[in-house]
Amino acid sequence: MTKVLVIDDEAPIRLLCRVNLEAEEMEVLEAADGPGGLELARTQDPDVVLLDVMMPGLDGWRVAEQLLVDPATKGIPIIFLTARAEFRDRARGLDIGGVDYVTKPFNPLELAPLVEDVIARVDRGERDELRHEKLAQLRALMEEG
Amino acid sequence: MSDATKSVVFNAAPLFALAAIYAIVTGAVVPTLWRERRRLGATDVAVAAIFPCIAIPAAVIGGLVLHDRRPIGGHVWPPFAATLVALLPGLLLLVRWRDRGLLAAGSVRTREAEAKTTLRDRELEAVSTISNALARTHDAKAAARILLDEVGRLFDVEFTALALVSDDGREATGFVARQDGRDVDWWHDVRLDLEHEPSAIASAVFEAAPVTVYDVAGSTRVSRRLAEQVGARSGAWTPLISEERVIAVLVAVSIAAHRSFTAEELTLMQALAGEAALALDRTRSAEALERALERERLIARVARKVRSELDVRAVLEVAVHETADALGGSRCFVRLREDGRDFSVAAEWRAPGLPSVAPAVRALAVSNLALRDARTVAVEDVAADPAIADPELGGREPLLELGSRSALATPIGLVDETIGVLAVHRSTPGPWVDAEVALLEAIARELGLALHIARLLAENEQRLEQQARLLRAAQALTSELQLDVVLPRLVEQVAQLLGVDAADCYLLDPARGTLRCAAVYGLPSELVGFEFPVDKGVAGEALRSSRPVIAADYQGMADPVPHAAYAGFSGAIVAPMVWGGETLGVLGVGRVSGGPFEPAEADALEAFAGLASLALRNAETFAERTRQAQVQRGFYRIASVLGQSLSLAATYEAVAQAATEALGGSYAAVLMPRTFGLELVGAFELPERLREVLAAEPPPEVEPVGDAAAAGRLIALPAVADDERLDADWRRLLGGCGCRSLLAVPVEDPRGESAGLVLVAFRDDKTFTDDDLELARHLGDAARGALERSGLFEAERTARALAQQLARTGGLLATELDPAAVLDEVVQQAPALLGAEACTIRVLDGDELVVSAVEGEDVADLLGEASPARGRLSDDVVQSRGPVAIDDTRDDPRLAAADTVLSRGYSSYLGVPLVGPEGLLHGVLSVYGRRPRTWREEEVEALLALAANTSAALSNAELYQRVALEKERSFAILANIADGIVAVDRDGKVVLWNRAAEQITGVPSEEALGRTPAQVLQRGLESQGDAPAGDRLVSIVRGGEDVWLSLTEAVMRDPAGAVAGRIFAFRDISADRSVEQMKSEFVAAVSHELRTPLTSIYGFAETLLRQDVLFGEEERRTFLGYIASESDRLTSIVDALLNVARLDTGDLQVNLASTEVGSIVDEVVASAQVDGAVDAHQFVVDVPERPLTAEADAEKLRQILGALVDNAVKYSPDGGTVTIGAHRRGGTVELEVVDEGMGIPQGERERIFRKFYRAETAGRNAGAGGGGSGLGLFIARGLVEAMGGHIEVASQEGQGSRFWFELPLARTPIATSVD
Repeated sequence: MTKVLVIDDEAPIRLLCRVNLEAEEMEVLEAADGPGGLELARTQDPDVVLLDVMMPGLDGWRVAEQLLVDPATKGIPIIFLTARAEFRDRARGLDIGGVDYVTKPFNPLELAPLVEDVIARVDRGERDELRHEKLAQLRALMEEG
Repeated sequence: MSDATKSVVFNAAPLFALAAIYAIVTGAVVPTLWRERRRLGATDVAVAAIFPCIAIPAAVIGGLVLHDRRPIGGHVWPPFAATLVALLPGLLLLVRWRDRGLLAAGSVRTREAEAKTTLRDRELEAVSTISNALARTHDAKAAARILLDEVGRLFDVEFTALALVSDDGREATGFVARQDGRDVDWWHDVRLDLEHEPSAIASAVFEAAPVTVYDVAGSTRVSRRLAEQVGARSGAWTPLISEERVIAVLVAVSIAAHRSFTAEELTLMQALAGEAALALDRTRSAEALERALERERLIARVARKVRSELDVRAVLEVAVHETADALGGSRCFVRLREDGRDFSVAAEWRAPGLPSVAPAVRALAVSNLALRDARTVAVEDVAADPAIADPELGGREPLLELGSRSALATPIGLVDETIGVLAVHRSTPGPWVDAEVALLEAIARELGLALHIARLLAENEQRLEQQARLLRAAQALTSELQLDVVLPRLVEQVAQLLGVDAADCYLLDPARGTLRCAAVYGLPSELVGFEFPVDKGVAGEALRSSRPVIAADYQGMADPVPHAAYAGFSGAIVAPMVWGGETLGVLGVGRVSGGPFEPAEADALEAFAGLASLALRNAETFAERTRQAQVQRGFYRIASVLGQSLSLAATYEAVAQAATEALGGSYAAVLMPRTFGLELVGAFELPERLREVLAAEPPPEVEPVGDAAAAGRLIALPAVADDERLDADWRRLLGGCGCRSLLAVPVEDPRGESAGLVLVAFRDDKTFTDDDLELARHLGDAARGALERSGLFEAERTARALAQQLARTGGLLATELDPAAVLDEVVQQAPALLGAEACTIRVLDGDELVVSAVEGEDVADLLGEASPARGRLSDDVVQSRGPVAIDDTRDDPRLAAADTVLSRGYSSYLGVPLVGPEGLLHGVLSVYGRRPRTWREEEVEALLALAANTSAALSNAELYQRVALEKERSFAILANIADGIVAVDRDGKVVLWNRAAEQITGVPSEEALGRTPAQVLQRGLESQGDAPAGDRLVSIVRGGEDVWLSLTEAVMRDPAGAVAGRIFAFRDISADRSVEQMKSEFVAAVSHELRTPLTSIYGFAETLLRQDVLFGEEERRTFLGYIASESDRLTSIVDALLNVARLDTGDLQVNLASTEVGSIVDEVVASAQVDGAVDAHQFVVDVPERPLTAEADAEKLRQILGALVDNAVKYSPDGGTVTIGAHRRGGTVELEVVDEGMGIPQGERERIFRKFYRAETAGRNAGAGGGGSGLGLFIARGLVEAMGGHIEVASQEGQGSRFWFELPLARTPIATSVD
């Protein structure tokens, strides 16, 4: 069963994720802040992390950095799930090492397919390709805008 | 079937059949048995009898059964079975019908085969036994016996024998014969002529195949005499063949009966013969080897004996004895050539009773023949041999008379010459075998060698004797090296050596062509010194022929030596003394009486003459060497004394010493030319009186030595006391100073034109030899060289001192940057440099020369003296732009006036110009000497160099000062500029940090200077690229606060293009920057604050709309609850933003009214409690006075308190207490919110009320009411101020914060409605 770790300080958002991911037969772990999320990521070995950025204390950027440094967790793909919608923030998220960047508000029904797609591609060893694709899309968007 | 029938059919019938079968078998066996009857044994008969013995009983029993018609024993079947069983062998025999013969004769055949095998085995065994035995034995006879016995046994013959065949195959001799196990004695005397006498042995030899004779008596092929002697009946003769030659014949003869030999037996015999041939051959070759070895041993023995004897006679005795012994001769002798005459008998051995050969020595024909033909001669029978019939050789008779019937003689050779003959005689005729001949020849060779050695030894001994005598003489001669001792000893020795009455030695004077007597022995001593022409007497002849001459008739000589002393001599020898082709003289010996001299004596004299010439030459060489060594020592003294690098004065002293020591003088003085004559400059051991006279001023004249110096001639005064060339005073003076001889050696002064002198005095009368003069000349040259060297050395030393001084001065000047200090330094250094006493520097100032620096006694007050350039000494320097040197100013009083320093008691002057860059004249550097002095060229140059240094240093210093001024000016400008200016040097160290930089960075200049910006500001200012372009934004930290700088950078490069420094100019743009940044963060924050609730609303709505999932009621309610609360949150954020907008534009409407504060506080707390239920903060309401009314807008007040409480909750830990209070303070109401949270840092307290500010350590929970947007406090303050109040904050980090504000009391309190 796919195990998804949701790190977000907003309880409604966590609930939203839980309800919709569980509806797709996924297991959802929740953390309300960065340190809690890191702990769960290390101990529970989730398949994917949905990570908010603007959190009190340890923000999402730093959480991502720590996850990617720790040998125990660096293999877990990170999907940013944040209200920061500016291009540079998206770029930053992908630069840090996130495989996708979802801006709030988002359609919760699309969450599960996205997670599945990411896991599948990462399992195929296309993690870097995925990131480069996302970066390329972002670049295209920026050029348009 | 009845029993009767059964018995007939099953018993009788089979029994008859059995009987029949066995009868047939018996019939078949019987013929064979009969045929072989003689060889049959009992067992064979027994076996054959079995068959009838079965047949007969079977027939009988069968008849009985037939008769009785009853089965045997009443049983039909057992007998039937037994019969059938008995039938089986018979049937089998019938089936194998062909083999029937074997039945009876089988064992016979087996025995025969066995017998055959045994015979073969025995034969083989015999062969192998013989072969083994033959292989083991080395004795041919033993081998033969084994063979013969074996053959006799094997072939059953009585007589066996072996006859050897000679190498040429012409003769056979009996070797061994065996009969009845014993040797047959007569057999070995048997000789058979194979070619002429018919015999079976001969047949076997010629046919090389076995020969058999059945009837010996009737055969013509057999030797009658042998056959009869043996009594042979039949025989077999088998040849023994080795290497395709018959070497022997094996004879096997039967005596008792005739017998024939089968082919097999012959084959076997041949095999045995083959084995025997091998063995015989081997033993024979072993024997031959043995014999050869024996001979060699004999020769070796003879040789050893011969060689161990050194005496020739003893050698010969040994040789003849041994030879006779070895060859069994009756006599043996050696004849040797004696003194070129005849060959006489040198040694002889003879058997007792025989006469000696010596009387008949010339008539010994055999040895004569050997001598004549130089070959070995062997005579088998003296009486018959035709070779010695020649009467010239001596004929047979003498030999026969001596009792010799056979003889062998061989010449004894030495190199190519026959020196004698060795002969051996026997008293019986007989052949000499090769071995004997070889032996004799070998001994002859040994003798030759021994004789040769003996002869050489004898010669050697003679030579040794002579050499020993010569050696003794040589020792006597060469032990002395003085010529006058050598010659008398020479003649004495030669007289003794040759045992003569007189000896003399004459030396050749080639120039005069005479011989002069040098030494005599046995002649009157007056003869020494006597001379005569070289062509006279025996001596003349000896010199002409260059070899010793024996005067046979001394008195009768045609041209005798004209001296009476030589009268009365009977004989003489004279030998020339020659060495290396040069005739030195003659050596002669004479005898008064006695016979003529022998050539050997002449040889001895010649050898002695050679020796004498060597001794003479030695003595001469020694004398020469001694002279040379003396001179060499002189040279060495000169070289060692003058070889050192010394000052000039020391060199003069050294020359004096060298002269004294080298020439062997007593003392010496060195005089050098000066203006008025020769001045004493150096001396060695010079007596004080003489020194005084020579050192007097002006120097005294010494004739003729003064002239000698001038002319560069060497003058020798061997006898000072008598020398007319010296005047009487000098003679007295020198005599008084112990000078008997004087040598004046001219020495060139390398600097001067004329020469100096070295006077060497000798305390004894001295004869000056050529060597002395040569040495003196060498002294002159060496002294000149030494003086030159010391001159160079001194010049070099001075130059080096100057250079060092200059280098020091230059170093000092290069580090001095103050012009005044430079001048002071120079005036200090210059006098030291030149050994002067005072120094000034006058600097050109317009038309005047100003004394800018001064050093020296009595001149310090001259500093600052300005003098008009004209008419001064310094002016000459200025005008000429070159050095001006005056050695002595005393002569010219005007000069003292021309320079103030000179007027203060200085008398020499040297001035040089100070010329700056581009040829600009700075001034004049002058040095002064107290005493007059010569300014040497190198000193002038040194001062010029110092002046150049000074000018350079002055220019440097001036330039530096100018630059320093410029720098100060620039710094002043930079320091006061409004922008921050920072300059760093090439190492990146700060050299300028202006006031503005201090203000902007908060770092004082003192702290920054000398460190790098990175050290000062915790970050570098340099651009990363090589070429900085335009403004850059750089942030630094000032007191915990980020300060943004707009920075420009300029890179300064040195001429080589390397970075020499950088200048940074910057301006503080933090204010602009932070607003910008805050705006951007605000947008992000607002965006976040708006998007978060939107996400929930949209998300839950979508979730609820999912068709595929069924949610429970409770879930749906939760979702809807979230949608509702998030919508509220969105609304409040929008409200807050609206508030901000209104505050910004001043559109905020405040409806002031009397408001009961306490109830509003309660409302806010209640609301907060609902919101923060989870967090469980403790809310304390501190409103002691109720009602408490203030003039306020209730809604706004609620908003303010809400924001403050919100913050308090956000920034304090769970369970913390939040106190909301309202108190009356005079005419105002003070409202406060106090928390126990993290507190606010000092620096932040002002900024927290700014728009968009958000704490770095963001709160835990954004909560409602615009918290987290950075607007809460901004709005709160705006509202407070809009209501006429003022909000403040007090905080302690880690303990909590207190926000409070005042509102005016309501003018009209609200009437409380109790109902």
